[in-house]
Amino acid sequence: MSDQPFRVRARYAKFGNLRFIGHLDTQRLFERALRRSRLPIRYTQGFSKHIRLNLASALPLGFISFAEMLDFWLNEPVDSLEILTRLQEALPAELRILELFPVSNALPSLQASLLSSDYKITLPEELMLESFQQKLEELISQPEIPITRRNKVVDYKPLIHEHPLLSDDSGMLTLEIRLSSTPQRNARPDDLLVRLGVDPADCVIERIRLNFSIEE
Amino acid sequence: MKENLQKTIEKILYSVEKPGRYVGGELNQVVKDWDSVALHWCLIFPDIYDLGQANLGLAMLYQVLNDQEWIAAERSFTPWVDMEAALREHEIPLFSLENKRALREFDILGITLPYESIYTNVLNTFDLAGINVLASQRTEEDPLLIAGGQACFNPEPMADFIDAFVIGEGEEVTLDVSRVYREWKAAGLSKAELLLALAHLPGIYVPSLYDISYHPDGTIAAIDPKHPEAPSSITKRIVAVLPPHPSKFLVPNIEIVHDRMSVEIMRGCTRGCRFCHAGMVNRPVRQRSVDEIIPVIECGLAATGFDEVGMLSLSSSDHTEILQLVRQVHDNFQDRTLSVSLPSLRIESFSLDLMDELKELKPGGGFTLAPEAATERMRAVINKPLDDEEFYQTVAKIFENGWRSLKLYYMIGLPTETMEDVEAILQAGIKVQQIGRQLVGKSVKIHLGIASLIPKPHTPFQWLPVENPESIQEKLDYLKAGTRKSGIKMSYNIPESTLLESWLSRGDRRLGAVIMSAWRNGAKFDAWNERDNLQLWRNAFAENQLNPDFYAYRERNLDEILPWEHIDIGVSKRFLQRDYQWSLQGRTRQDCRNVCFSCGILDTFGDQRPPETICYWGCP
Repeated sequence: MSDQPFRVRARYAKFGNLRFIGHLDTQRLFERALRRSRLPIRYTQGFSKHIRLNLASALPLGFISFAEMLDFWLNEPVDSLEILTRLQEALPAELRILELFPVSNALPSLQASLLSSDYKITLPEELMLESFQQKLEELISQPEIPITRRNKVVDYKPLIHEHPLLSDDSGMLTLEIRLSSTPQRNARPDDLLVRLGVDPADCVIERIRLNFSIEE
Repeated sequence: MKENLQKTIEKILYSVEKPGRYVGGELNQVVKDWDSVALHWCLIFPDIYDLGQANLGLAMLYQVLNDQEWIAAERSFTPWVDMEAALREHEIPLFSLENKRALREFDILGITLPYESIYTNVLNTFDLAGINVLASQRTEEDPLLIAGGQACFNPEPMADFIDAFVIGEGEEVTLDVSRVYREWKAAGLSKAELLLALAHLPGIYVPSLYDISYHPDGTIAAIDPKHPEAPSSITKRIVAVLPPHPSKFLVPNIEIVHDRMSVEIMRGCTRGCRFCHAGMVNRPVRQRSVDEIIPVIECGLAATGFDEVGMLSLSSSDHTEILQLVRQVHDNFQDRTLSVSLPSLRIESFSLDLMDELKELKPGGGFTLAPEAATERMRAVINKPLDDEEFYQTVAKIFENGWRSLKLYYMIGLPTETMEDVEAILQAGIKVQQIGRQLVGKSVKIHLGIASLIPKPHTPFQWLPVENPESIQEKLDYLKAGTRKSGIKMSYNIPESTLLESWLSRGDRRLGAVIMSAWRNGAKFDAWNERDNLQLWRNAFAENQLNPDFYAYRERNLDEILPWEHIDIGVSKRFLQRDYQWSLQGRTRQDCRNVCFSCGILDTFGDQRPPETICYWGCP
């Protein structure tokens, strides 16, 4: 075992049935997949060893994503294509590794450098463009946007990073929005939808990009 | 499934707790093209996914059936109450996890009945599937509903709801049933003809082919086949050689109970504890060799990524190669962070060497022993003999080897039990604690687990009444006070929580109406709501003019026709009667691997016995 751990970063997609699997279960799923892969995985030191693994951000239950990121560590360098192949073989079909590359151990953790997430929301068919647009503009022009989650009120005003983009793609209304995703200030698009009078369960919510302070 | 239905389901999934229970999509799940197979099974475990998915029997049948190209086996579990409400609100019939097909669309529904408290869930599950719960009311178009599992050795309480029962082991008979079904379907005959054809299969019981008549006092007068071709008694099915162990285990995406890989190392037990249902109904003992088990673990770990292996059997330390097995597991897998659990160790049959090996595999964990009774007299009554001296020596060895926590299981409510026997349990706990304190110090943790006897069908105790709850409560109170004073932890079941089991486990066919009423009154998830549902059950008995005490507190005559009289487990009634009498005389039987007591197993199954090189049987 070489002393220098080999850090690997992967971007992955989570969709289909797997979007109903929560964050902690996803983490366990990756741990098992890594164990199955027979890659030279790095364990934490100490009495109770566990796999060193780091997911950038919790994806809320029911969301799909093609932009999730994870770091894990190996005991020695392995060719990226081989890691990707072996890991993919060990994963259920609806968790797909999209790209994978080694990164420097000196980089900060994914969580620490995550700033925001971009979401693409396919809105319910029956929604009218004009009235929804009006509601949206009204809401985001408020000086404060208080939203309650678990009895805690959070002002979403500073958490909405760019002006949301509403478009009509041949009758399909989609909303693209960039929201803060730091551990201290994490905004959820479904809460915003509820505030706009839309049931998130009627939408398809997709995370399309994670934005980090240090770009690779 | 139609697209809009799929959409509605997805919408529902956002609103329920743990939606991962209802979506499938696990690694190693088998999804076959629906139209590419001739026969569709749905295997149903009538409790939530979190509890059912770990069931090893389910995994075995899933693999046995799916290994056949012409069969697809899918899975379904009972939805939790929030999902049930949503399904009912949107009028969505219960569906399978793999192809998301309504259960009604399957040919055969295979229901696991592991214990009695699951019975109302079975009815609820059928109802959610849009299937009439009463077998007599179902149509030619409904699927075949077939049940198997340990509770089916007394099938009578569920006879109104199930078309056919598998009595005994399912690995081979499940394929026999599949073939009979395929031929029947091709021939285009009636359901009655299917049931009759199934009744010809060894190990299959079709309850609608039998009439039960009763004496005025409520005991059974006769169990008569209605059809000349229906056998007068149904002998359980066994597999003479344990079939290849499943290894392509499905890996749950959400956390479930027993989130580990399970390997059955041995089936059956030769010890003959008189209270033990599993020990009587799972004879003969058959074991898997080390050479068979190690590759199963190897493949299983590679296929699943689990970090824990449970080696299952009724008495692990009685496996003839247990030491080699544990050593080899240690040698082969020590480079991985693998923990191994080896439940059910017999105090007298595990050696110092085995303890050393276990220490290597599982540092820090607690140790569990089950003396079951604390006086040598009482241990003779239940036929679990053990010297006090040997017991305390073992306890000392456990502490000397570094364990700091010990759990001891005992039973109360045993026949001929006096307060002296109960006091001895507390004394044993205190003595064990003293030994522990001497050897490892103050931090030692002692835990007593107290269960009360529920006499089970097909055991030497099947004629006994359940001890009355007042007397059980008195004994529990005594133990509670004593353990609290000594700083010993104690867990136990309150008497009310075992009532349902005591009524149903030795029930007759008339209880079908009671189960039906209880379910109609709202009973479900009885194991989760023991106390709350009890009144529903009492009302259900009253509605049907039946007295629950008749089933729980009545001592049966030795020559009475019991509700399971026609179910032959291979162990003769004569043997059980004699063993019961021996029990009252305090006479023990030794491990029957050493000497045969002619329980009947070899008379029934001896002609199937394979050479030892193929599969070891425990019989002499």
